[in-house]
Amino acid sequence: MAAALCAARGSGAHAASVAIVERAPALGGILNQCTHKGFGLTYFGEELTGIDYARRFARLVDTADIDVFTDTSAIDIGGDRTVAVSGATAGLLRLQAKAVILATGCRERPIGALPVAGTRPSGVFTAGSAQKMMNIGGYDIGNRFVILGSGDVGMIVARHLAQSGKEVIAVLEISQDCGGLPSNRINCLERYNIPLLTRTTVSKVHGAGRVCGVTVADLAQGGSRFIECDTLITSVGLVPERDLLDGLLSEGPLPDWLFLCGNACFVHDTADDTTFESERTGSLAADFALHGVRMPGANHGDRARSDSFSPAEALAHGGTAGLSESGEVVCCACPKSCRAVLTSGGWQGLCCGRDSPDIG
Amino acid sequence: MKEYDAVVIGGGLLGCFAARGLAGYRLKTALLERREDLCTGISRANTAIVYSGYDTKPGTLKTELCVRAARGFALFCEELGVRYNMCGSLMVCFGERGDAVIRDKIRQGSENGVEGLSYLSREDVLALEPNIAPGVFSGLYSRDSGTVLPWELCLAAAGNAADNGVDIFRRAEVTNISREGEGFRIQAGSDEYYARGIINCGGLSADKIHSMVIKSPIGISPDAGDYIVLDTKAAGHISHIIFHEPEHKGKGLTLVPTVGGNILIGPTERPYEQDAGGARAAAGSKAKPGDDMFAGTSLDGLEALRAQILQVMPSLPVEHAIRTFDATRPNPEDKASQASINDFCIVEENDSALISLIGVKTPGLTCANELGVHVSGKLASRLGAAANPGFRPRRDPPARVRDLPFEQREQLIRDNPDYGKIICRCGGITLGEVLDSIRRAPGAVTLDGIKRRAGTGLGRCQGGFCSQSIIETLAGELCCAPEDITKDGEGSYLFSKMATP
Repeated sequence: MAAALCAARGSGAHAASVAIVERAPALGGILNQCTHKGFGLTYFGEELTGIDYARRFARLVDTADIDVFTDTSAIDIGGDRTVAVSGATAGLLRLQAKAVILATGCRERPIGALPVAGTRPSGVFTAGSAQKMMNIGGYDIGNRFVILGSGDVGMIVARHLAQSGKEVIAVLEISQDCGGLPSNRINCLERYNIPLLTRTTVSKVHGAGRVCGVTVADLAQGGSRFIECDTLITSVGLVPERDLLDGLLSEGPLPDWLFLCGNACFVHDTADDTTFESERTGSLAADFALHGVRMPGANHGDRARSDSFSPAEALAHGGTAGLSESGEVVCCACPKSCRAVLTSGGWQGLCCGRDSPDIG
Repeated sequence: MKEYDAVVIGGGLLGCFAARGLAGYRLKTALLERREDLCTGISRANTAIVYSGYDTKPGTLKTELCVRAARGFALFCEELGVRYNMCGSLMVCFGERGDAVIRDKIRQGSENGVEGLSYLSREDVLALEPNIAPGVFSGLYSRDSGTVLPWELCLAAAGNAADNGVDIFRRAEVTNISREGEGFRIQAGSDEYYARGIINCGGLSADKIHSMVIKSPIGISPDAGDYIVLDTKAAGHISHIIFHEPEHKGKGLTLVPTVGGNILIGPTERPYEQDAGGARAAAGSKAKPGDDMFAGTSLDGLEALRAQILQVMPSLPVEHAIRTFDATRPNPEDKASQASINDFCIVEENDSALISLIGVKTPGLTCANELGVHVSGKLASRLGAAANPGFRPRRDPPARVRDLPFEQREQLIRDNPDYGKIICRCGGITLGEVLDSIRRAPGAVTLDGIKRRAGTGLGRCQGGFCSQSIIETLAGELCCAPEDITKDGEGSYLFSKMATP
């Protein structure tokens, strides 16, 4: 919904009438469970938590003339440009629009998508739901953790756990390289001495009631070993959430009044990137709604239609680069992981314009 | 001590249908389930198929019940408010050997009295299922076959039994049975029960339970199988149940278009072994390996399934896999000769009213109701019970909001706004449906209990989005802390309550 906030702002600036439909009780989407910093350096020039970043936009939306339906789920987008919504307070309604923006974010792949054998005990969580349970629910979700997959959310959760005094045994990554941003690898794992085991995966989950351990396979050397743990966190890929388009797509190509932005379009590295893109999408959608003009390049629907963003590609969008080549230094100041090069004129390549990179 | 005319042991498909059958007589009946919820044993994990009856040997009880059950299955599901996808099945083969098997099955089927069978040429098969590998040789179509959600069926039977006065006790594991007068004294959980008669549907433990009274002549020698579930995004790729008859010996692939719109792939057939690897690996640590019922999927099994898919239907979008699970089959064997038995085993005591169903496997789901009627009739006649004229066989289905037309859905939400709030995003399942599964007997008390009743967490996020709000809803309804809610019963704590390692 972060993208939606920005898109709504973008649309509202054009004096289009705008409604936001949000299934959660508050605006902000996944940002509301991000208690860590690293947001806003590009957009606001200061470092904010996800919660504060969302709040700034939510406040802007509050003061603008935008109808907000919280606790309300969009359940269908009709070919007649209606959006059916359902909520306890809203009831069942059809909202008539001239343009519709899909800013539904993305979804985590479940462990069942992987060839992992074993039992199905409690204590297996995706990184995002673990983050929500801890940061919004305030729950204590375990004591000894193994993290499968080195996606950004997984690494951020690993850091959060380490900060809370929990034991994070290792982060396992099936491929050669860390799946998330280098800055997160440095900030979240290396700084907390959490081992990142590459070419390693979980081959079996054990436990009758609760997880009691995992069998870990070493893909480089061969062989496997048992690691005792009571919680397994998975961070094995994000998939853009576009279920609402299924009906429309079955009728043919996506219509020109439909816009996608944020992670529903493709998985972005940073919220700041999402913000810029979404404001532009909002502005284009408003133009379309008011004047019936579709600007070239505004149709992100092509990407949705070809479904070209497989989980692997989505992961690739999260950045899979390893440590920098010689001569470059990865800056850890923000999630952008800028590669800074020292030249005669000083450090170059930093997005935020600071004098020198934060090298962790 | 709680006194009953009849006690059913086991809250799986057989137990719940036996209890429903007993509700049709003037008998005070109780059902005892060892775990926190019903349908948590072998009934919950299987291929979910209603078989038409061509696959079993003529003259067996299996065949008699199966043919009758399949023919009436749609009507009977309607009575219980259970969804049934009567999609028909296709057995397909890729060569001469399989073709001979198919021709044999057609002969056997007509001898069994199965209607709606037909032999299909390669072209016929491809017309019905265009995504089957083009090398397909021939096929067998069976009309009276379909698929049902096992837990939906089981819980509807239990609910109907409860509506008709059967008492259901959970966390009531039977630990001892002794004869007392004409009947039995049963120790279960923290209570004692007296019963004039017992129907034992103890699943994998049925032989052990029988032996608490008298040595069981039948033993259970389980084996196991693995399954993969595809997301509803893959729906439409097949439209019938597909059985693959392999050219080489061994188990072929089965594909099922489930009621929920998923595709079920499996099962493999492999020895049942407890989590021995985990146990060895965990030796010396305090960790406990897998339980005695589901030992977990095997990596080899999952790989074997993927290999078979390449042969039978290479276009099947396995990238939409969202879940794997394992099943346990309770194969019955004659204890004296150790020979396996290829029929349903109903073991009766001559001098007392103990009836045990031991080692009921495929087509047990198809025949659950028929078996329930069968054994409850036997027990009722032993106990001299008359039919219960007040028995109401119908059960209203729960509201399935997503399936309602717009206007009806609008009205329902106006009457009860809880049906407007969507909790499970993948399944479009509302708070009203979640509350209904907690409040309606036998109500859910666990996260998976809600899944089995309302269908939450079955979708492509596998509960990632909805688990927390369901746990909180359960805690609110049951007046406990969220930390007290488990995934699926004892030991499966979700938050903080697990033993510190």
